Amino acid sequence: MMTDTAQRKLVLLAAIWVILLTVPYWLPFTGGYMALGTRVLVLGLAAMSLNFLLGFTGVLSFGHAAYFGLGAYGTGLALKFATNSTPLALFLGTLLGGVVAALLGALIVRRRGVYFAMVTIAFGQVFYFIAFRWHSLTGGDDGLSGFKRQPLNFGVWTANILDNAVLFYFFVLAVFAIATAIMGFLLRTPFGHTLLAIRENERRARFLGIPVEQHIWLSFTISGFFVSLAGGLNALLNNFADPTMLNYNQSGEIVIMVVLGGMRSFWGPLVGAAVFVVLQDYLSSMTTNWMSFLGAIFVLVVLFFPRGVLGMRFGNLLNIAGSWLKLRRATS
Amino acid sequence: MSGPSENLLDVRNITKAFGSLVAVSNVSMSVPAGELHAVIGPNGAGKTTFFNLISGLFSPDVGEIVFAGTNVTQLPAYCRVQSGMVRTFQITEIFPEISVRENVRIAAEVAAGYRLRPWISGAETTAIDKHIDEVLALTGLSGNQDRLVSELAHGDQRATEIATALALKPRLLLLDEPTAGMGDQETYEITGLIRRLHRNSGYTIVLIEHDMRVVFHLADRMTVLDQGRVLAQGSPQEIAANEAVQVAYLGKAT
Amino acid sequence: MTTLLLLNMTNGLIVGAFYVLMALGLSLILNLSGVINFAHGGFLALGAYVAYTIEPVVGFWAALLIAPLLVALLGIVVERALISRLYRLDPLYSLLLTFGLAFVFEDVTRAVWGATGLPYKVPDALTQPISLEFFFITWYRLLMVSIAAAVVVGLFLFLRMSRQGIRIRAGTFDLDTLSSLGVNVRGLRTLNFAVGIFLAGLAGVLAGGQLSLEPTMGAGLLMPSFVAIIVGGVGSLPGTLFGGLLIGVASGLTAVFWPSASEAVIYVMMAVVLLIRPRGLFGEEGLLSS
Repeated sequence: MMTDTAQRKLVLLAAIWVILLTVPYWLPFTGGYMALGTRVLVLGLAAMSLNFLLGFTGVLSFGHAAYFGLGAYGTGLALKFATNSTPLALFLGTLLGGVVAALLGALIVRRRGVYFAMVTIAFGQVFYFIAFRWHSLTGGDDGLSGFKRQPLNFGVWTANILDNAVLFYFFVLAVFAIATAIMGFLLRTPFGHTLLAIRENERRARFLGIPVEQHIWLSFTISGFFVSLAGGLNALLNNFADPTMLNYNQSGEIVIMVVLGGMRSFWGPLVGAAVFVVLQDYLSSMTTNWMSFLGAIFVLVVLFFPRGVLGMRFGNLLNIAGSWLKLRRATS
Repeated sequence: MSGPSENLLDVRNITKAFGSLVAVSNVSMSVPAGELHAVIGPNGAGKTTFFNLISGLFSPDVGEIVFAGTNVTQLPAYCRVQSGMVRTFQITEIFPEISVRENVRIAAEVAAGYRLRPWISGAETTAIDKHIDEVLALTGLSGNQDRLVSELAHGDQRATEIATALALKPRLLLLDEPTAGMGDQETYEITGLIRRLHRNSGYTIVLIEHDMRVVFHLADRMTVLDQGRVLAQGSPQEIAANEAVQVAYLGKAT
Repeated sequence: MTTLLLLNMTNGLIVGAFYVLMALGLSLILNLSGVINFAHGGFLALGAYVAYTIEPVVGFWAALLIAPLLVALLGIVVERALISRLYRLDPLYSLLLTFGLAFVFEDVTRAVWGATGLPYKVPDALTQPISLEFFFITWYRLLMVSIAAAVVVGLFLFLRMSRQGIRIRAGTFDLDTLSSLGVNVRGLRTLNFAVGIFLAGLAGVLAGGQLSLEPTMGAGLLMPSFVAIIVGGVGSLPGTLFGGLLIGVASGLTAVFWPSASEAVIYVMMAVVLLIRPRGLFGEEGLLSS
């Protein structure tokens, strides 16, 4: 009764969640460590949130790290000065980044294309600059420290997400699950269909009677909120926030994760984040010239891989997975 | 001067220049409800720019556009669509990777005001489906409705575009060269469709056309544009007899 | 007080000259090919480092000309081999490509020349101030501004009067028509890119004499160049020129009254422009919006 595509999607969904739920059990065997897995989730959420705007509405923002960083700083500052509750701090941090996204979005949504991307970059840098300069509040170049994620008190049980990396992973996974469920739901509604129409042909959407600017602003804001949430989680992961979470390098990394994983696919960016984070971790421990390699990755992905991992046919995917596994075995 | 008008569409003295190039100059046109009005003219006469001005892709430098008694000159395009002014494009731009029915559904959902909704009820879905069925029957696409648009013949693609336009519940249809790029058989079919929409369903239609057979077959009245200006306006018989028009088209007096 | 004012204004103008050179190059590439060249800062740094390397061999004055030319040559290679494949795709891809290139350039620069700042040797005669009263205006600074001004004038003349220049300007409006008129659009894009990179390289050489050479020296000038383009108006080269000078002078002026805000002021100006005139001061309606 289910169509072929629907079946395939269900299989993919099941596979992904099985993998995600069992990470603590198989990750140590591949030479990874828990924080790496959590980091993949955090950046995966950031990438999927950006993809809401980029892959599903067709609008490029290259300054989304601003909201990522604002979420991080917001959460950190909340934990430092305002509250002992991790969820509340996370909520406040998300609010900060999301509201700024809403405000900035309203300002720039009248322009589009390359120009829009430029403006998002420039605005992103404003916040980097503020974080850098406002030393007394943000710690400037040294970053914001002096806060730690607090254990969660459920009454009968306290989840020590501070010291127990596995528990923290599951906390992040829970947040991730809720966030992606909301995004997935939105994309299935008439609102989501309208966004797709805008992506496919903006002018046409306009002449179908769709107020395009308003919809793009909404998509931008939703995307901003969830990226901000990811930033908050990042601050919790590191117990630290610093200006590099705000600058365009960070933005670029998130974008490449989306492209690497596959823009047209809902879960693609998560896969892209996994590949990128693992590669980055591996390369920076191998060589001091990891920057060149990262840059080369950008160039190669764009030239030879623009559809990304999940945008390719399944056969190619298996080939690549095979060669990657060989590489890991050869070097461990 | 603005004032009350019984015409569905009133275009008054609009002019549009791009830098030093004047695309449309002091053009006026009135279309009463129920009329099929053709806009013709040699290449570069400004017909598409004229349509773009009416539909709101950009604003005229001078002049007014009054639709159903409301001055829409400064209104953004999507508002005009929502008030019932629907246009098609010369190059078919329907979404190619989805089915005919899905294309029409997007339009129907927008027309029903469901764009922002997170979910719609069963009753509302039924109403939309009924509307889609009607539009598909009207345009003769019921048999093809589940096929991907990219797989269809050119004529059926154009019909799909007209179907999506109809799904938007238009009061005025602006058709930009509906028979462009078509062979005789397809031209015949599309002309038949437009004729049915006009005669049987009573739609008000303005169309840009190059094919004179189509124009003379369908139009109640015509406007001839040349180099951005109105050369002549009137019934097909009057236009056919107009010498200036003959010169513009044929380049010489007959 | 006036001395302080003049000092900062002069600094502002000089910085503005750099912004202008960078921004004009960026703008040229953006307008014709729709590419945001993130690697522009990298080319600037390369210009400085190349000049540093060849100066002992060819001397200060020749290096001024040869280094930008060499960098422009590299630009041609990059454009032909990499960027030209992406023109027909979404602007996203060329953005990512140049972004990645920026990383590579910075790392390569660091690997070849080291991470510590290198001093660039400017002839002693030029480091003298032109007068005791205007001690902050050295001959070198005068030279920099003059060269920048001359190059800008030269650029505008090139665009107005030479055949290729006119084609570049026409191509900004409608590349398809140009190509159907038989113009070699591919070659035009390459030429345009090379000119843009030449400007970046030149800015680098000139900057080398002012600041010390570091692998990250271009990155600091890249953002203000973006702002210059946004403020001046996308699609308008005179606008970019004006924008660059405006933000340079504005940051100079701010430095007098409120030093720590002198960098922030350019972003404030950008926000203001976007609020009240989103197309930029000299921008044209409809350009680069969908």
